[in-house]
Amino acid sequence: MKDDPTQFRASSRPVAAGRIFLEAALVAVFGAAFAFAANQISPRGLVLARDYFPAGPAAPVRPVADGGLPAGTGANSVALSPAQFLAAQIKGKGLQLLDDSHAARLFHDPRFKQDIVVFIDARDEEHYLLGHIPGACEFDPYRPEKYFNTVLPLCQKAEQIVVYCNGGDCDDSESAAILLRDVGIPNQKLFVYGGGVTGWTTNGLPVETGKRNSGNFLKPNP
Amino acid sequence: MTTAQTSRGRIAVDAAAVLARWLLGAVFLYMGLSKALDPVDFLKLLRQYDLTQSFLLLNSMAAALPWFEVFCGLLLLAGVAVRGTALTLIAMLVPFTGLVLHRALLLQSALAIPFCAVKFDCGCGAGTEFICRKLLENVLLILLSGWLLFGHGRRFSLRFSLIKPAAQ
Repeated sequence: MKDDPTQFRASSRPVAAGRIFLEAALVAVFGAAFAFAANQISPRGLVLARDYFPAGPAAPVRPVADGGLPAGTGANSVALSPAQFLAAQIKGKGLQLLDDSHAARLFHDPRFKQDIVVFIDARDEEHYLLGHIPGACEFDPYRPEKYFNTVLPLCQKAEQIVVYCNGGDCDDSESAAILLRDVGIPNQKLFVYGGGVTGWTTNGLPVETGKRNSGNFLKPNP
Repeated sequence: MTTAQTSRGRIAVDAAAVLARWLLGAVFLYMGLSKALDPVDFLKLLRQYDLTQSFLLLNSMAAALPWFEVFCGLLLLAGVAVRGTALTLIAMLVPFTGLVLHRALLLQSALAIPFCAVKFDCGCGAGTEFICRKLLENVLLILLSGWLLFGHGRRFSLRFSLIKPAAQ
């Protein structure tokens, strides 16, 4: 029997709840099968067995409120701001934290030109292309297989590796550093630059756009 | 009221229900695709809710939910298993709205600002939004799903009910 679209039957007779529940169950089962298959086929799909956050739990709160997140404000506030939480977490994971002045010093170190000091940008490709620390290598920790071939030889050769992301509550740099450590890069070489791109640009340091060593620079903020 | 008037009223209600079905379908298709195209971003947002300590479970949710929404959106647009899909959407929307509300309350407490001034990306697919607007949207989606659950919006549907009642 086909549905007659001209016949109005909505709520005019009792709905067979059991049939609706069964239908919902079918939708759930087929929907789940479709979803996992689509994720498998999608080139951007997630690898289910991969730990994307080896650094541990996220910072306690991550609002995008206007004016940013004040640290420890409010009656029921958290004790640490996300940035402070991450700094503590970075140290807790045995990684070395780098501040703005140290990062700038390493950037101006002549060894940087010789790839003895290496900067690693742990953001995604889109953000990297929009602007990164000049000479920094792209290394998205959520797509590591794409970058290992270029990043690992550099890291093996380097004596100091500075990993950064956006700064603030961003913990992708920490994930990237742990990932590099897990594949055999010695821990003493790895430094997480907590200020990230935000700290870098705030200090008026140069920013390169496009590919690595493209030679295109953003004009510094007045 | 004459029979003709009653009939016209019913047609108007059913036409509105069809539009509601299409709107709901389009919203879920859009929301699902926007997340499915950047699943890592969605994974990061989902992680903020501290739903589970198991990365396998978290990955599974982040991988499946966007495509599941796409699936439900397509079913609604095509008019297949509409009531079952509507019930599934309600079963998803209600707990997720609760989670979003809970997180908003935490943020409000941490920031010491009025509730409606709380603004964050809840991972719903529409980016950063003010919480009151988000909650209003979700309530609207739940209400529309509820309306479809009662059998409205049959016109232009490929197979409104998957399971037919047994023949009398």
